[in-house]
Amino acid sequence: MKCFKKPTCRKTVMSGIILTWLFSIVVADAVNAGEKLNYRLKWLFNASVVGDLYADVHHIFTDHGLDVQVKAGGPERDAIRELELGHAQFGVASADQVIRAMSKGAPVIVIAQLFQINALQWIYRDDQPPIKRLSDLKGRTIGITYGGNDETIMRTLLAKGGINQKEITLFSVRYDYTPFFQRKADIWPVYRNTQGVFLSAKLAKEDETLRFLDPHDFGVRFVANSVVTSEQMIAKHPQTVIKFKQALLQGWREALNPANQKKTLNTLKQFDKDTSETILTQQLAITRTLIQPSPDIKIGTIDTAAWKETEQIMQAQGLIKKPVNVEKALRNL
Amino acid sequence: MLLRRIYQFLIIYCAGILLLFLLKYGLQLSDYVIPSPIELWQTGCAEFVRYFKDVADTLRVAVIGQIISVIFAFIVGIAGRKATWVGSIVKVAAYNVQAYPIVALAPIIFILLGDGFIARLLIASMICYFPILLSVIGIMSEPVVDIEHFYRCTGRLRWQLEVKIRAFENLNKLTTVISGSATLAMAGTIVAEFIAANAGIGYSIRIALYQSDLARILSALFVIGITLSVYQGLLEWAGALIKKGWET
Amino acid sequence: MFLSCENLTLKYSHNGLPVLDNLCFEITTPGLHALFGHSGAGKTSLARLLTGELPVSDKFSSGAIKIRNMKTLLYSYNTERLPGWSAISHHLDKITPASRKTQKDDLITLFGLEPYMDQPFNRLSLGQKNRINLVRYLVQDFDLLVMDESLANVDERMREKIILNIKTLYPDRLLLYISHNLIEVAKFCDQIIVLRAVTRQPQCIVVQGQNHRGYQPTAQLPERTMLELMNAA
Repeated sequence: MKCFKKPTCRKTVMSGIILTWLFSIVVADAVNAGEKLNYRLKWLFNASVVGDLYADVHHIFTDHGLDVQVKAGGPERDAIRELELGHAQFGVASADQVIRAMSKGAPVIVIAQLFQINALQWIYRDDQPPIKRLSDLKGRTIGITYGGNDETIMRTLLAKGGINQKEITLFSVRYDYTPFFQRKADIWPVYRNTQGVFLSAKLAKEDETLRFLDPHDFGVRFVANSVVTSEQMIAKHPQTVIKFKQALLQGWREALNPANQKKTLNTLKQFDKDTSETILTQQLAITRTLIQPSPDIKIGTIDTAAWKETEQIMQAQGLIKKPVNVEKALRNL
Repeated sequence: MLLRRIYQFLIIYCAGILLLFLLKYGLQLSDYVIPSPIELWQTGCAEFVRYFKDVADTLRVAVIGQIISVIFAFIVGIAGRKATWVGSIVKVAAYNVQAYPIVALAPIIFILLGDGFIARLLIASMICYFPILLSVIGIMSEPVVDIEHFYRCTGRLRWQLEVKIRAFENLNKLTTVISGSATLAMAGTIVAEFIAANAGIGYSIRIALYQSDLARILSALFVIGITLSVYQGLLEWAGALIKKGWET
Repeated sequence: MFLSCENLTLKYSHNGLPVLDNLCFEITTPGLHALFGHSGAGKTSLARLLTGELPVSDKFSSGAIKIRNMKTLLYSYNTERLPGWSAISHHLDKITPASRKTQKDDLITLFGLEPYMDQPFNRLSLGQKNRINLVRYLVQDFDLLVMDESLANVDERMREKIILNIKTLYPDRLLLYISHNLIEVAKFCDQIIVLRAVTRQPQCIVVQGQNHRGYQPTAQLPERTMLELMNAA
């Protein structure tokens, strides 16, 4: 008690209390991991996460004995960090995020790959010469998000096509499409199944039609959204992970089943109130082709070759300094 | 004054970094969540010059934005200082403009003005203008009765003299507000760059965020902090010089 | 020159309590007159009503103030300040009409202020500040000047000197002096309007002062007037 009356001693005690409190905030969720499962998505609620929402709304998680809270993502969210900090037990991350995290020692494990074809593509107007070969990109003004994975993909395409950066003009992309509408950029990156649909509809009103440039068509496979968890979760709660994956993929299967279309659209409408049913229907149809391009590919299949290719692309562009052997993080449970 | 600002910032920055490292090693977090000291140092060394140029670019916009907002706040504050009909209209209009969050207006600004210098400048000005306006209106609408009385009762109190008296009597407050608003101008510019610009440190932070690179973000924060400390210190020093010069 | 109050009533705007109640008096001659009374008796409020700084006949005041042959009515008080951005001489030069430059210089000398002219106002003592403030009012074109504690913190000899000088220099003006100094008021003022507590009627009584006009080393203290003042207040 005497010590506490001294200012220096009091400061030390107070600092200790504050630090303890900060630690407790950080670790609180990890302690509660067994009680409730948080599933952090990569982006906001839209057609790209329809299977996740379906599994939640139609109690598929509950039927598997799981209490899962599906949380929207966003640009400031990072599921892998949340896994490590214990704020989430499962999440959705893109392959480049996973590979970057692995390169920095994050204990992340991929348990399912949702998109077999990356939804990230480019649009251009029908009145422009079609891009049948990569060399057709020459002379165009191409939108890219500096630092984003569309930059990585486009640079890979350019390298693959042997196109020098001087032969094209790169245009910095922001969230709105004004530069594309104003024809300041010829080619603009979009998510094929969401933005691609409503932009096509919007430009159709102006009697304009769009074409899509799909990197997949030119042999560039850059893996997109996948379901991730932590090494610790797999080690300590393997059954929970298995049940989660089963429930989630069941949700996706049911959501994408044409027989359940009405049910799926109703689910989607609960979360995406601003998009019309017509657009949602089109978005759902395209999402189906990206999640399951052919009936012989099971939903959630991890395409190891595509992951390795993604790693090679990132290494070639200096986004990781040395190989991470991404296949170590891929688990077909 | 200047040195004090710098070492105060260094203490706060180092304390923050220390706390992060405590969390990192206490909870055994990977370098992906919190970078290691070596990575932070290496990134800092590698990116310092580039980030310094970016911050200088941001600061240039922030300084011009701050000057514009100070001028504008003084115009509105002086016009709105009287408890008259015109004064209250000016005040209501000035407050209503601020009722819209600038971040929400930013997309419209970027669509209309593009993502160049003008859009960044406008957003920076709008973010730092309101606190200055509040202070200026507060100062300008509060009579310094003991000084103004003579001029008022002898019919000599023109608006220029009234403004001069009130500004002089509240010079410390004005210096503090203007110096403080430098932070807001800088924050405003960074927000603008983060949302949509093609240049500046906000833009670099956005790229670092896309790449989940906390070491770069922390390095950028260091350069922002140190630059802002110097700028604020210079503003305070200039304020003290003006006060000293005015009083003698 | 004529100043009168008829049934003047004033209430505080913040609580509605009366300050002045049915006040009646008149001053018909120029010279130095006084407003005297306890603190809070309403001297300052009355002075501000007389000089038009407070409105007569609004929801807090009633009655009438009649003023004849006087146009410029000024009210000065002891906590007034000059702006701090330049020296006193600069400020005084700016507010002195061209025709009164000599008068200003004379007053500065008479008031013992010459050594302080190049200093900023805030470096002066309270007494020096009050003298400077009084000078700037005296060089204005006025018919009535209320001096509310304008010589507070000035030493007694200097006060006496200043009072006698302004009586000599401004014989045709109406000077209304507010002071708590019983001897000074009794000795130098002509009519002394004694303001009493608002509960007493009549609230004001006019006492005739000694109205000394020059330095009189052998003059007797105005004991009779002082007693009258003390009884009245």
